[in-house]
Amino acid sequence: MSTGQAIYTGWMEIPNSAVNEEVQRRAEDHALAAQLAALVDQYSSALYRVAFSVLRNPSDAEDAVQEAFLRVLRHRDTLGEVRDHRVWLIRIVWNIVLDRKRRAKTRPETDDVADLARVLPSSGLSAEELAAAAQHHARVLACVEQLPEKERQVLTLSAFDELSSVEIAAVLGITESSVRSRLFRARNLMAGLLDHTRTPK
Amino acid sequence: MTSHSDNSSEISQAEETLRLIARLPAPAGLESRIHAALHAASQSHSNAAFREPHGRVVAWPSALRSQSSWARSHGEWMRSAAAAAIVFVVAGGGWGVYTRVERNLPGKVIVMPARIAAPSGFSGASAVRTPQTLAGPTVSQSAIPKPGKKSPPRTASAQTGALPATLPPDSAK
Repeated sequence: MSTGQAIYTGWMEIPNSAVNEEVQRRAEDHALAAQLAALVDQYSSALYRVAFSVLRNPSDAEDAVQEAFLRVLRHRDTLGEVRDHRVWLIRIVWNIVLDRKRRAKTRPETDDVADLARVLPSSGLSAEELAAAAQHHARVLACVEQLPEKERQVLTLSAFDELSSVEIAAVLGITESSVRSRLFRARNLMAGLLDHTRTPK
Repeated sequence: MTSHSDNSSEISQAEETLRLIARLPAPAGLESRIHAALHAASQSHSNAAFREPHGRVVAWPSALRSQSSWARSHGEWMRSAAAAAIVFVVAGGGWGVYTRVERNLPGKVIVMPARIAAPSGFSGASAVRTPQTLAGPTVSQSAIPKPGKKSPPRTASAQTGALPATLPPDSAK
């Protein structure tokens, strides 16, 4: 049956205008689905890394990325209004991971840090250097965890090469100058914490 | 005490750790898993949308929308007849129901007996019934002994120790 024909249901019929609207709606749905698929292919890896930098657990990070795209699917009608999809998606996943991290606050983080230090790439190192590198990573991550939340967030996002300070500001919903001042403060605090951990007690 | 250059190198090393985390590769097949999740979600969404009652615009069949004026008037007539038939059926059914249903009769009133007010003017709500006092035995005048006369012979009650029904007036003292 061609789309131009009317659909008969019993002794009443659906006029062509309604059929055309249905067809148009389906075409729009297909276009949005294609756009969403392209976003998945393009940004899922970056979103995963952002999620992993906060959650530090591969399965949790993947869940967060999936949830972010499911949220996009639910609000796909607003896709056309978004200017920068990358920052928008990072902001969505960032809010999801922060929420998850807040909910999982009771879980001890020291184990995660130790696990992560083992996961980090350290190829071409001897066993002794490997152990030293793992220890160093664990110490750094423990210091990062001690930072205030605002400073920690800025420092974590600043590690992503693809994010400029303007984009970090857009993700966090603050001004660019705030990002810079928080980053400065975070570096100072980190220096103090690293110095404190290095000094023998 | 650590120098400023030591601090900056340590911070840069610390940031390098964070950069290593930020550069960690995503697991293989991440995109395909997300695609599958999105597909499943959109399928369930479309199924739910299918189950939801959609407002559909319906119109009269084209058989009733003929082009010729006669046919058009014929169609109009048919439409009017169908509408009249519907009205007739609905109104007739309503009238049938109306005539068959018994009307509400006014409620029967049970007349309560009037309360008989107590002679004192108060109600006898808390009145306690007291039995009627029995009339005592009456003693005849001849049975009363006169002073100076010999007392009558003792009765059976005297023998059993019971008091006589009446006593001489001075015996009570």
